[in-house]
Amino acid sequence: MIYYIAAISLILIGIYAVLVKKNMVKIVLGLTLIDSGVNILIVSLGYIQGKTAPIFSNPTLTAQDMVDPVPQALVLTAIVIGVAVTALALSIVIRIYDHHKTLNINKIRELKW
Amino acid sequence: MYLDPVLMIALPLFAAFLIPPLARISKGLVKYVPVLIIGFNLYEMVMLLPHSMVKPVIVVIAAWAPPLGINLTIGPLGNILALIISLVGFVVAIYNIRFMEEEPNEKYHMLFLLLTAGATGMVLTGDIFNMFVFLEITSISSYALTAFLRDRDGAEAAFKYLLIGSLASTFILLGIALIYATTGTLNMAQIAVRIKDVDPRIAIMALILLVTGFGIEAEMFPLNGWAPDAYSQAPTPIGAAFGGIVVKAGVYALARLVYTIFDFQGIFHFILIAGIITLLIAEMSAIRQKQLKRMLAFSSIGQMGLVLIALGLATTRGVEGGLFQMFNHAMIKPLLFLSAGYLVFYSGSKNIEDMDGMGRVKPLLSFFFAFGAFAILGLPPLSGFWSKFIILSETIRNGFIAIAALALFGSIIEAVYYLRVVGRLYFKAPHEGLHVQYVPKSALVAMGILAIITLIAGLYPDFVMVYLKPAAAELLDKTVYIKSVLMAGL
Amino acid sequence: MRKAIAVLFLGFIGYYLLSTFLLVPFGVVRVLEGVGLKYLQDGLQQTGAANLVTSIVVNYRGFDTLGEVTVLFLAATGMGALLYSKRPTERARQNASIIVKTGARILFPLIIILGAYVFIHGHLTPGGGFQGGAIIASGFLLMFMSYRTYHVNHVILSRVESSAGSVFVIIGLLGLAYGSSFLANILPLGTVNTLFSAGVIPLIYVAVGFKVGAELTALLDTMLQTVK
Repeated sequence: MIYYIAAISLILIGIYAVLVKKNMVKIVLGLTLIDSGVNILIVSLGYIQGKTAPIFSNPTLTAQDMVDPVPQALVLTAIVIGVAVTALALSIVIRIYDHHKTLNINKIRELKW
Repeated sequence: MYLDPVLMIALPLFAAFLIPPLARISKGLVKYVPVLIIGFNLYEMVMLLPHSMVKPVIVVIAAWAPPLGINLTIGPLGNILALIISLVGFVVAIYNIRFMEEEPNEKYHMLFLLLTAGATGMVLTGDIFNMFVFLEITSISSYALTAFLRDRDGAEAAFKYLLIGSLASTFILLGIALIYATTGTLNMAQIAVRIKDVDPRIAIMALILLVTGFGIEAEMFPLNGWAPDAYSQAPTPIGAAFGGIVVKAGVYALARLVYTIFDFQGIFHFILIAGIITLLIAEMSAIRQKQLKRMLAFSSIGQMGLVLIALGLATTRGVEGGLFQMFNHAMIKPLLFLSAGYLVFYSGSKNIEDMDGMGRVKPLLSFFFAFGAFAILGLPPLSGFWSKFIILSETIRNGFIAIAALALFGSIIEAVYYLRVVGRLYFKAPHEGLHVQYVPKSALVAMGILAIITLIAGLYPDFVMVYLKPAAAELLDKTVYIKSVLMAGL
Repeated sequence: MRKAIAVLFLGFIGYYLLSTFLLVPFGVVRVLEGVGLKYLQDGLQQTGAANLVTSIVVNYRGFDTLGEVTVLFLAATGMGALLYSKRPTERARQNASIIVKTGARILFPLIIILGAYVFIHGHLTPGGGFQGGAIIASGFLLMFMSYRTYHVNHVILSRVESSAGSVFVIIGLLGLAYGSSFLANILPLGTVNTLFSAGVIPLIYVAVGFKVGAELTALLDTMLQTVK
């Protein structure tokens, strides 16, 4: 329960940063916050009370003792995609900074929304 | 005779990985790689067509039958869309041969190849999370290509596109999480079976999240803020590829969601209304544009509005009309973009008013543009006429007379601004000091292919409709799709 | 004003998201017929990997992972294209203190070994190609931060990337040629919980480890300078 609330709060904080902040680096930070929130949410959906990680490292462990492994696999993919998008976003920001010498989005918005 | 369809995704990825070493050996060879690989995809799709029309071809990956593993489900709809995507990709790749000469051009060809591969994967896959991964491949290459020219406006357009696209992928992931949490599967056919037992409040929320996410790629109102800038600031062939490839994949995902996966009638009215709003706002914005490419971008959004109206009708003939409209748009919009690219280049300005008299200076190029304009605004007997006619008559037949009237009004606006440009091309005196050179043959060949296909589709619409009918049937009757996927698991 | 609208909008989204997710019970088995349970029951016999997350990532959903590797590759390529310049220029960096420099030199090989350990044992212990690759890249990040002039050779990185990516696809194609389908396992499964087990999974994860390590390092290095 608390995991859902925390994850959704993270997502909302991230969206707030994207919508309100003027500094482009902060906007990109907002994107990564959203990503983390979504990932926490997905992992917590896979959790089952009192069970352990899905690794058969110990012969006494059986399938009944383990949490759902699929959300963890999905989150691994989602994290990598998030990293890729962040890297590209930062390089676009570097490029914009080279042209305008500012990170303030209000001063550079020439294309209309 | 066709090879395993998984090669259509594996080979482009393989080729993309091998391009950097190839570029070190010979820079000149790289530009032919996309032509070759996408040409292979085109061949595969044509060869698969007779098979997939009969019953969906299921391709198992990693030896695990669905729902355990990921599978490709190539039904009539997926096959047709992959064919369209490969065709547009092939034509644009030919155009690219002489287009991108400046450094680092090998990266340009690599990104373009992956853009096409990602869109192909989106329309072929049978797994919803895999679709998300391919969507990300498509959109990340789009972001990079939008900013590829490294100028100011390109970077800004890419940043805007990236922000909206990231929000879209957040929504899609949340939707997928809800679906997995309640159905315990990611296979689209199995989700379609199990979604009936899910609490409707959760199902509707998942549907809203997914439609919002994919609606952004499909340029649905009000989520299309990225499109005009991205289309007009990206290199010309990429603008063409957005219209012919990226948007098609987005619309496919949307159609698959509302028709196959979810069973919720209310969404169709929503899509109908979103379609008409998209259409009207886009056409009204288009007529105000001063730049040629921005005008084409808004027109593209308007066309997608028409497709959404057709999909929202949810009748056999309506969906057929919508698919035909998608086909036409995929052929004609790249034609317009590719010819507009050289018109802009030769006139040295992006503005419509500086295109005066190009019809006399560059007759063939202007002919292609004019032909595309006539086809898209639906001058009979060109292909745009048939699809618009089907959609509008079907809208009236279903009693949505107000929507049909508004759509017709939108079409008239469209006619006005296209004819205005064509009129300027032919009936005004050319400006002084145009630095006109000859147009590369590869570009003319690319435009020629598109123009010929458009002409054939206009003169013999039944030739295309034969293949669109099973695709529409697949959407309206999901049992065949579900059964063929789940039978593969036995 | 703008903030007020944003907060209202967020409250609206947050309320609906939270109220929907609260309908999904937390911490219990919700779906009895889900694929997750099937993987738990049969995954060990079917793939031979003790780490079930790895067997899902590399085997059952291996196609996703191929896409994922491509996404990273795309980001590295896109970044190289965006930050390209004919005359490479260095972005200003500061030299670190002697303590950091010495520490970095000692830690660097250890970090690389840890990364390699994590991706080689991806099918046995928590971790895998992506995690190991990220650890290796963090080792290089430490070096970039400590030594102002430290650089990696982009040609070598690009070669590692290309060949590791091709190895992944080639393993997949071998599955198509000698097995039943793309990415199908063609090697014996071996004994569970030993290094040489789980068929092609360790091979793929080693390739992924090399690729991710090289790509993330290239990303970091690209951000420090414009490249040619």
